[in-house]
Amino acid sequence: MTQALILNLVVEKIRSTINEDWIHDFEIDLETRFNEDLEIESIEFVKIANAIQQHYGDRLNIAAWLSGKSINELIGLNVGQLVDYIETQTEPK
Amino acid sequence: MANILFTAPPLVGHLNPALAVAKHLQSQGHVVAWAVHMDRVGNRMDPAMRCFDIGQFDPAGELDSTKVRGLESVRLFFEDYCVPMTRACFKPILNIIDDFKPDMLVVDQQMPAGALAAQAAGLPWVSLVTTTASILRLSDTLDEWVSSQFASLQNELLPAELHRARPDLSPHAVLVFSNQQLMGSLNQCLPAPYVFVGPTQGEGRATVAFPWDKLKTGTRKVLLTLGTVSRDRDTRFFEVFLQAFAQMPDVQAVVVAPESLAELAPANVIVSPFVPQMELLPHMDAVVCHAGHNTVCEALRFGIPLGVAPIRDDQPVIARQVIDAGAGISIRFGKVTPAAALHTLNELLDNPVYRQAAQELATHFSHASGAQGAAQHIERLMNHTEMSTPT
Repeated sequence: MTQALILNLVVEKIRSTINEDWIHDFEIDLETRFNEDLEIESIEFVKIANAIQQHYGDRLNIAAWLSGKSINELIGLNVGQLVDYIETQTEPK
Repeated sequence: MANILFTAPPLVGHLNPALAVAKHLQSQGHVVAWAVHMDRVGNRMDPAMRCFDIGQFDPAGELDSTKVRGLESVRLFFEDYCVPMTRACFKPILNIIDDFKPDMLVVDQQMPAGALAAQAAGLPWVSLVTTTASILRLSDTLDEWVSSQFASLQNELLPAELHRARPDLSPHAVLVFSNQQLMGSLNQCLPAPYVFVGPTQGEGRATVAFPWDKLKTGTRKVLLTLGTVSRDRDTRFFEVFLQAFAQMPDVQAVVVAPESLAELAPANVIVSPFVPQMELLPHMDAVVCHAGHNTVCEALRFGIPLGVAPIRDDQPVIARQVIDAGAGISIRFGKVTPAAALHTLNELLDNPVYRQAAQELATHFSHASGAQGAAQHIERLMNHTEMSTPT
């Protein structure tokens, strides 16, 4: 699975979960931070993560991945880091 | 009668509820004194109460920045504000204790220097909590990090036998200016002896002038406020809502914002940098705010539905409580458009479900005893002979 395809899926899940007028025109790329750029609160992040998880099934465990992160890592979390995680988990073994 | 020393950080939202409690205790004949930053809040203090100056404190970071958001603002609150302030205030408060000789301390949760000084002096203390976000278990990562901040402070300031996991929560009593119905059951509380007293009724606040003659009768009204900390920072949010209000000529709005925004305001909007919020609220049909804990509880006391646009600190948690209780609508502070603002305002005013949920909460708030109940609880504790400082 290529990074671009994963990114497209993540962006689509962000847009459909937030589903407010501004998000559909908001440019989201690998550098976009959930906290600072998107103003996404934790409960919304969980919804986005669930939607992504549903797509990939049990190859992913986003909750476990997050629980290993420090407070500073959580603050700075961006779309690219989530895409990287999905990419490593879904690589053909 | 007892000597009671109050201390709180120089933040209006923390000072006001504590002042209300202090007033009630003083009226019962107790001698109340304050340890505060006089250069910052001297003008807000009650002249009938003795004030000791803690001295100057200049925080490294700007607490009122809307640029810093969410979890990062919580980290910065500790690193740039709470921790250095505790270091700076610990000794001065100990000296004030030496001078005033209080029987007990009443300490705002976000003024841990007061709690650590009480511990060091062997005195009992009561914690005042102005936001339920800071007594909830939100995530293991965050809870562990906060505990580690307190651990390092106590390593510097207190002998090991006096260390506590959370010195900001008194083992004697933790008085919370909210209620459990709003807090919900989604998150567990950190262990402490809580007493939920509900919001204060505005006692102890400075009187604020307001152009009451401009307030129309018979029109629906909206109050928009971002509180005392965030008000002057970012005008975009106000501008978006002014555009929305311009499309609602049948509605009157009071916007708490810098005077400079008055020239952008349509005819149906009153712009004022300060308002007598408690006196205005009974006239309001909806409130749009930053989900500051005081404003949320005060609006809900009157059963008013809320548009909540959290910016920082505890505000996202409190906003979530309002949404989960069904008493409001979420607004994204930095992203809201005039169309979204208009839609939110119309929903709050026209869809009865939000008002119904807010009014249900209001019945719980109306049973709460507020500052007077907090004062009575403190008196009961003092009369309790077994009250001594646990180690």
